[in-house]
Amino acid sequence: MMNTYNMVKQEFIKKWINTLHMLDSSIEHPLNVTERKNAIRLSSDLAMAAARNGSTVWSRALISRSGNKTANKPMARRILKKARNRMKNRCNILRRNGNFTAKTGVRKRTDLLKSLVPGGELIDDKDYLIRETLDYIVYLRAQVDVMRTVAAVDLFTRNLTNDRRNK
Amino acid sequence: MDLTQGFGARSGVVGPVTGLESLNFSDEFRHLVATMPPENTGGSFTALLEMPVTQAMELLHFTDSSSSQARTVTGDIAPTTLHPFGALTFPSNSLLLDRAARFSVIATEHNGNISGETANSLQSNSGANLDRVKAEPAETDSMVENQNQNYSSGKRKEREKKVKSSTNKTKSSVESDKLPYVHVRARRGQATDNHSLAERARREKINARMKLLQELVPGCDKIQGTALVLDEIINHVQSLQRQVEMLSMRLAAVNPRVDFNLDSILASENGSLMDGSFNGESYHQLQQWPFDGYHQPEWGREEDHHQANFSMGSATLHPNQVKMEL
Repeated sequence: MMNTYNMVKQEFIKKWINTLHMLDSSIEHPLNVTERKNAIRLSSDLAMAAARNGSTVWSRALISRSGNKTANKPMARRILKKARNRMKNRCNILRRNGNFTAKTGVRKRTDLLKSLVPGGELIDDKDYLIRETLDYIVYLRAQVDVMRTVAAVDLFTRNLTNDRRNK
Repeated sequence: MDLTQGFGARSGVVGPVTGLESLNFSDEFRHLVATMPPENTGGSFTALLEMPVTQAMELLHFTDSSSSQARTVTGDIAPTTLHPFGALTFPSNSLLLDRAARFSVIATEHNGNISGETANSLQSNSGANLDRVKAEPAETDSMVENQNQNYSSGKRKEREKKVKSSTNKTKSSVESDKLPYVHVRARRGQATDNHSLAERARREKINARMKLLQELVPGCDKIQGTALVLDEIINHVQSLQRQVEMLSMRLAAVNPRVDFNLDSILASENGSLMDGSFNGESYHQLQQWPFDGYHQPEWGREEDHHQANFSMGSATLHPNQVKMEL
């Protein structure tokens, strides 16, 4: 039972390694901290969406959204092109007439949730939105868990090697 | 187990991919129903997180496989643009909207039979609240039944139901399978026209899913009201996204390169794990991952390095190997 979540984390880290290499080979060095952070965040989001590997709105929206940032990298572009086209068609079909003021608290919060979940603005059915949110939360948590672990390991091995070097 | 047989039979109808999925999960499902999942009252935060997450994961996979199967059944019936979206789409056509509303009513019927907190509510639901809907011929029935089975079975896992409720559920689903037409019976003092029925059904379905989300988000099951639950969910999503931002900043600040030597981190963590002073939580998490899964040729870089490390299996680390490493 526990294995399902671990499988998610495994999928994520496998994809993350790939996306990191992909980004690293296609960007110009040197970068400052903020740019590096953005690249890491981007690779992590892409990995999360790729790990989902299913028919969710949020994963495709995330890939298509990230596609804008990697517009100059040909390899990434090729991979993201397909997803982006699919998303564009989806946008045209689903978008209904836009602005009406949120009357109740639930309506306001639903709109806020839509803005948080990638691709949420395209979903009108509240039921489907909640389903997407559920899925997205699971993968978000996997992303956070893995990244936290990697950061901790990184820090620790860094300290370890420093200690051994200093001895 | 009735339901697992149902799953096995259903997998024969679908293509190999979804059938395989449903077969795999039928085993886990049987195991789940046989052994009650423990209460999430105490324990560490990570244990609390992982429990409902895995249950939710299985729900998601269930509904994914069921929905793809449903899609094959109704592929010719509902050629709407929403279809490629996947699971449980509600078509925009009015006739199909009607049918969708009926589906949701059937779903809530099953949920009403199951999703009570106590045994009493369970009995009262199955007795008095026979909401059955006028349904179309057999194939839609089977599709709905399968959808509901998956959805309700997922719900059942969330609720930690006993075996008795599952037999209750299969009985009602079998009965609906036999009858081509099922009649609605509204509760006392409620409007009975199509719109309000559909609306009520939809609301109940949304509430059911909100309950699911409540169990997923920690600390959310105490509050009542949709708005507050949504608040909690929004906070949770926001906090998770902020954490991702922070963690990527941390990783970027420490490492000069973008791919921050992830490979060598995974390789050298053997040594770090053997040292006692490692971060407790991370150690626990790393132990849970079966490292054999990483033995992949597609990595390319430092492949030999990995093969040397991962041949040992999960977290069985020898001091000798550590010395060789460092």
